[in-house]
Amino acid sequence: MKDPKKVLVALCFVGLSALVPLLTKSEYLINLLVMFFLYVILSQSWNLQGGFNGQISLGHSAFFGIGALTTRLLWISKVPILLALIGGALSSILLAGIVGIPCLRMKRGYFPIGTLGLAIIAQITVGNILPVPGSLPSEYIVGYSLSSRYYLALSVAILSLLIVSYVVRSRTGLAFVAIRDDEEAAEAIGIKTFGYKVKALLISSFIAGLGGGVFAYHQVSYYYQSPFELSWSFLPTLTTFIGGLGTILGPIFGSVCYLALNELFAFTLGEVHLVIFGFTFILIVLFVPGGLMSITQKILSLFKYFGRRGRTETLPN
Amino acid sequence: MGQTLVFGVLNGALYGIIALGIALVFGIMKYLNVAHGSLIIVGAYGSLFLFRLGVDPFATIPVILIALFLGGAILFLSFFGRLIEFPEGARIKNSLLIGFGLMLVLDNLATLIWTGDERSMTPSYSGITYQMFGLRLPLIGLSGGFLALLLISVLHLFLSRTYFGKAVRAVSQDHEAASLMGINVGRTFLISFAISVSLASIPSVLIGLQSFSPTAGIQWFNKGIIVVMLSGIGNIYGVFPAGLFLGIIEALSVFVFGATYREVTGLVVFVLILILFPKGLLGSGAES
Repeated sequence: MKDPKKVLVALCFVGLSALVPLLTKSEYLINLLVMFFLYVILSQSWNLQGGFNGQISLGHSAFFGIGALTTRLLWISKVPILLALIGGALSSILLAGIVGIPCLRMKRGYFPIGTLGLAIIAQITVGNILPVPGSLPSEYIVGYSLSSRYYLALSVAILSLLIVSYVVRSRTGLAFVAIRDDEEAAEAIGIKTFGYKVKALLISSFIAGLGGGVFAYHQVSYYYQSPFELSWSFLPTLTTFIGGLGTILGPIFGSVCYLALNELFAFTLGEVHLVIFGFTFILIVLFVPGGLMSITQKILSLFKYFGRRGRTETLPN
Repeated sequence: MGQTLVFGVLNGALYGIIALGIALVFGIMKYLNVAHGSLIIVGAYGSLFLFRLGVDPFATIPVILIALFLGGAILFLSFFGRLIEFPEGARIKNSLLIGFGLMLVLDNLATLIWTGDERSMTPSYSGITYQMFGLRLPLIGLSGGFLALLLISVLHLFLSRTYFGKAVRAVSQDHEAASLMGINVGRTFLISFAISVSLASIPSVLIGLQSFSPTAGIQWFNKGIIVVMLSGIGNIYGVFPAGLFLGIIEALSVFVFGATYREVTGLVVFVLILILFPKGLLGSGAES
């Protein structure tokens, strides 16, 4: 973030989003934005591991879910929400350390399947142990205020953006990208590939756990297994790929598209938006590995190109 | 106990056929078709459609088989075929991503077309069981096991006795060398992929006779991939015994932990194998 223009634009966006609950009373809009921040958190977390480090994980629902579960249980037992949130994120790191690290040792290409297996195990186990919906106690429902949920989601989203952009710009981030691009070459120039993969996994699971905590704080009542559902793994994969793998803005862009399509088809049976998204996903994997970000960049550079040519033509006169 | 084992073996035969389709493309082409389960479910809906017109479920197998063969060929020509040039690791990853997108599309299309209700086919003979040694043997399960054995022998003969089968085995060992020997690798991939998809037809009908819903695909894919990992990648002959093994393990786990953890047992076995024996349990397979 050396570019002051970019910092200014980012600050404007943050300022505007902070004003939203003061300007509107529409619960629909605020809930929608909370979901949007949740998607941003989750897809940034996924992007750090899948986009920058090249480890496609289908197990993020487990990290998200354990974060939600721990935060909720701590919070209900009278722990302040911020502490509960940190507890949730730590539990997510712990889970990643216990089950995720062995997955990183798998043969190349098997990591997605291994993590998918773990996500399903986690979902079924939690569904069996806690089959009941977790409603908030009544004194919590009385004190429920949507704007505090909104600000928490907003700050965690900003935090996740800051973490990811800081890590990506650091030496560690360079190592992540080197491993993604060519693992053997990275190893050859002295990067400890396994250590960095673990680092990416742990940071990513930390953010996903925070996201889970936001979910637990926002929802009044849900089945304990619902944040463990596989769709929470599929969602960041889709949004990141469609927005742009390995970019900071891409996942945000992808989340906007996902939410927009979701709302557009909210009243049809089944999930039309997933049909469209799945199909777009296939096309992007095959033809546009940079996602929508690379398409917009191409269009922008095309504009610049024509703009510049126009200028040089007019200058001599 | 004996009865549990019987059901375990019969389920295991079903897992074996599902895994066969996955193992064929995974072993030969290093494609991981995550959408295999969803294709099975689509086949089951096709079979249900014909069944409602008055066709016997088992008689729908050839129709579904041909339809899925053509569908597989189209899928390969439009999407999967573009991955041939990729190196092995990238081929697994990208085919998995495409399969994943395809799974989303198929599952949600199925929900749109047929709603999310659970369906099943119930022909007049669906309740028939035979008594033997004090055990109950359901007719449909038995015929499923019989079909599985038939299928595996046909596939074995096809791969070991025909010229095309030889080409398939050559490509699976080293596709560059095979291409230098004058084998058309693209066409071999195309036909293998289409055969793999068409193998989904028998599980389609067998699952159609149990019960299915649009989103059940991934569960069946899981069973298949667990079996593939148990048998070792590239080892097509290990698939059927591994399927039986999984069926029996699941049956035993139901006996010990209760039915709710049935899915978990298989997956735990699967993750442990991935971590401890990346080449599979039975034999080393044709791993390069």
